Amino acid sequence: MTVAIDRATGKRRGDRAPRPGPGSRLKRGYQKYWYAYAMIAPVALVLGVIVLYPLAYGFYLTLTDADSLNSARTIGVNEIEATYKFIGIDNYADILWGETAYDRFWSKFIWTIVWTAACVALHYGIGLGLALLLNQKLRGRTLYRLVLILPWAVPTFVTVFGWRFMLADAGIINSALDFLGLPTPAWLEDSFWQRFAAIMVNTWCGVPFMMISLLGGLQSIDASLYEAAEMDGATAWQRFRHVTLPGLRSVSSTVVLLGIIWTFNQFAVIFLLFGNTAPDAQILVTWAYQLGFGQQPREFAESAAYGMLLLAILVVFTSFYRRWLNRNEQQLAI
Amino acid sequence: MRRGIAATALVASLALAATACGGDSDSGDKAGGPVTITWWDTSNATNEAPTYQALVKEFEAANKDIKVKFVNVPFDQAQNKFDTAAGSKGAPDVLRSEVGWTPAFAKKGFFLPLDGTEALAEQDKFKSNLLEQAKYEGKTYGVPFTTDTLAFVYNKELFEKAGVEAPKTWDDLKKAAATVKDKTGVDGYWGSTAGYYAQPFLYGEGTDMVDADAKKVTVKSPEAEKAYGTWLSLFKGKGLHKADVTADAYAHIQDAFVNGKVASIIQGPWEITNFYKGSAFKDKNNLGIATVPAGSTGKAGAPTGGHNLSVYAGSTKEKQEAALKFVNFMTSAKAQETIALKNSTLPTRDDAYTDKVKADPGIAGYQTVLSAAQPRPALPEYSSLWGPMDDELPQIAGGKESLDKGLGDAETAIAKLVPDFSK
Amino acid sequence: MSTPTVTTTAPADRPADDSTPPRRTPRRGESGPLARLASHGILTVASLIALFPVAWLVFLSLGPDKDDYLRPGAIWGKMTLDNYSFVLQNTSFFDWLKSSLIVSLGTTVIGVMVAATTGYAVSRMRFPGYKKFMWVLLLTQMFPVAVLMVPMYQILSDLQLVDSYLGLILVYCTTAVPYCAWLMKGYFDTIPFEIDEAGRVDGLTPFGTFARLILPLAKPGLAVAAFYSFITAFGEVAFATTFMLDDEKYTLAVGLQSFVSEHDAQRNLMAATAVLIAIPVSAFFYLVQKNLVTGLTAGGTKG
Repeated sequence: MTVAIDRATGKRRGDRAPRPGPGSRLKRGYQKYWYAYAMIAPVALVLGVIVLYPLAYGFYLTLTDADSLNSARTIGVNEIEATYKFIGIDNYADILWGETAYDRFWSKFIWTIVWTAACVALHYGIGLGLALLLNQKLRGRTLYRLVLILPWAVPTFVTVFGWRFMLADAGIINSALDFLGLPTPAWLEDSFWQRFAAIMVNTWCGVPFMMISLLGGLQSIDASLYEAAEMDGATAWQRFRHVTLPGLRSVSSTVVLLGIIWTFNQFAVIFLLFGNTAPDAQILVTWAYQLGFGQQPREFAESAAYGMLLLAILVVFTSFYRRWLNRNEQQLAI
Repeated sequence: MRRGIAATALVASLALAATACGGDSDSGDKAGGPVTITWWDTSNATNEAPTYQALVKEFEAANKDIKVKFVNVPFDQAQNKFDTAAGSKGAPDVLRSEVGWTPAFAKKGFFLPLDGTEALAEQDKFKSNLLEQAKYEGKTYGVPFTTDTLAFVYNKELFEKAGVEAPKTWDDLKKAAATVKDKTGVDGYWGSTAGYYAQPFLYGEGTDMVDADAKKVTVKSPEAEKAYGTWLSLFKGKGLHKADVTADAYAHIQDAFVNGKVASIIQGPWEITNFYKGSAFKDKNNLGIATVPAGSTGKAGAPTGGHNLSVYAGSTKEKQEAALKFVNFMTSAKAQETIALKNSTLPTRDDAYTDKVKADPGIAGYQTVLSAAQPRPALPEYSSLWGPMDDELPQIAGGKESLDKGLGDAETAIAKLVPDFSK
Repeated sequence: MSTPTVTTTAPADRPADDSTPPRRTPRRGESGPLARLASHGILTVASLIALFPVAWLVFLSLGPDKDDYLRPGAIWGKMTLDNYSFVLQNTSFFDWLKSSLIVSLGTTVIGVMVAATTGYAVSRMRFPGYKKFMWVLLLTQMFPVAVLMVPMYQILSDLQLVDSYLGLILVYCTTAVPYCAWLMKGYFDTIPFEIDEAGRVDGLTPFGTFARLILPLAKPGLAVAAFYSFITAFGEVAFATTFMLDDEKYTLAVGLQSFVSEHDAQRNLMAATAVLIAIPVSAFFYLVQKNLVTGLTAGGTKG
């Protein structure tokens, strides 16, 4: 990239002045940076109170057997103490290698991975294809863009509601397939087709974001690179491989990472399509929700443990991803 | 640009002002002013809630010092919402609590025991099995508000044409269905694959999914296997419609029955108004209602549903008193009669079954089968037990897994819900 | 690695080349007629797929009975707007709409302001710990926060924020701000800091520089952040259901559920409500869509 320049002061880094002592460094740091801290204070405060504190508390709960029957509660003026016990990592042990571990965790884990990989691949592939098409000078381009963003703009609880009608056994999709003489699968009942339907609906919902991001990325690729390639006699495919794809690299890496994180935790689509039914199509996050809210007693500790496992999986993945990216690029925000 | 910033600031302050206005949810009880209690109603907002709201107005007119804030809460979310709010802040003073919720909330201390209070002033007028069901560890925690049970409903015309009567046992049903198919050409019976609707089979064999007293999971006991075997056999045979395992199965079955495409189903009274909308029941007297068929023990049983009115234990003394008065009013014979007439739900006390109410043959019919309704055990986890059944039964009925395997999986899942029960 | 550019124009139009031979070769950016037809074809198919579920809902909402969705073919003969008039007149639709708009616009305004200041702080002043901070922002997106609903409820009720719009707005901000802050940081990274310098030279405080010089340049990025915050807040269901206790404060997401009760679901009214919900969102989106593409480019998602 370019020379590292300290943006606040414009000084070139590497100019070494003698390092002052820690006390005055702290004081100077405070003076230099208090604007920054002031600016990030609201975020830090709100996130800390509303997210990080419950997260820490949730982590503590995963080491207990808390559920809705034995948690602390305040009933008017009565305060009932919590009666859950500290059980250490029993929850995790039970989830990961307990008696029903395969059924409740590992099978869902595998399906979640498959789900994420398939969805992100489709999002990216279709999004890139549409972005390439939209990058041309076509008439009605704006109209296409407007319509193609609709699945992202309209709330999921509306669009998935529509999909449920369409995917019902006697719904319009099966009627159309029937009309064409094709087999009509039981979208919402058969476990394979449930998964297929879930991926299909999520792809429909997620392509617009990728498409628009990649379109933006495409538009910022320097036109002169294409000209140079054309003059060198490159075919369209070669231009794509050697100019477009590298040019999109940083946009791609970001949206793919975001896509993976968001899809892994994509609660709305599967929950709205299937609710608490369809045990085979539940990914880890909807299953955790079902444990915590879909049954009596509500298993707080167990669902939080699933949440922690999800977090751990994503953290590990992101670390590897960043390292892999940093081998090739330097300046990335992630 | 400066205008832009000013506009942004304006919108922001408007938004914040709106939130500030929205923030004062706590109705101020001025000293000496009317007491305001909040009622979370979980009924159908379009069909049932208006009746309740009218009754609330009546109550307020008769009790000038009490104001009732009526809040309609969507049913699916109400249990979680109340559970969360009741342990913290924001819970209502009165809750229309489904009978299955009552033990869990009672166990957690959310409900006020109602024995000896104004709410249960007319205790002996209510049906005893309903009061029994609202008890937990000997104390009553809810006043029965509406009730329902499952009955065998049939198309009288089709049955007459086939020359059969309402069957007394499941075997009789098989024969009757075959005859109906022969004589009329439509299917005789269409069974449901939902766990709740399989209960009559269990009760017919004298068992249930769990034995709460003995703390045992009995879903795979020999009696239960027999019961589910009978349930499964009612999907194959002449005149027996095959199992519908789609997501809209309930709607399909209803649709077929009200349009005369199937002669009988098992159903609850909440569909009475919808029955009458169908082409087959334009004449209300064509709707036949009988007790569910009995099993091999000769006994017939159906699950009891319904709702109680419960009072939150965390409200202030003033509000609790007002709430008790309100509950008494809503469960009085007059109010119950009004509700039954307008909403076609079943009253919970015999003196509410007036002639006007019984003029609706649907209600009259269901009243006769209420005696076969089995009360639910006072187990907080009980209503969650149908979750695993709803997962396994459609698979079994659709032929995807054997009865043995399905019940085994259900047993494992149920054991997770009641870990201190033995298998 | 490509160089980040600030230019946000459409794909570079090649200057008219007067010396091209009479044979019309397609210029880059244009395609031959066959390719163009194929592009139109594919885009049309994609657009139909994108539109269809919503269009289907519109169709179903024209059927007056609650079981019409089982027999959609029969709707042709009895199309009516009864469902819409019922929803608009006999339900609390406008209350729901008001609540949703307050919450969504509140989230948008607060979320964008906070995300912009945060992104700016990280972009310009690499204060100690900024990397950890960005990492934490990413982390909060990885945990399914819905699982923590009960502790969050308790915290909010201790702060007197339950059943208030502000509480819900803050919760939505915790979802929207991390992504928007990231986005804004990347966007600010592409604005040359000569502008900051100019501001400092003019004697403005960093806040002043930020507000008067930088923000106007970041309009596309702000548009994306606004849009994302809006649709996140508008479409959220779980928190809205739990934290809003008064039924006058239900958002549209909760209001839609009110048609489903224990045994009955008025699907026709739900379809009508769903269509009515799609309208304000589409309107808001139409307002910002021009800036969406440009906002997501030029370092917006490049980081």
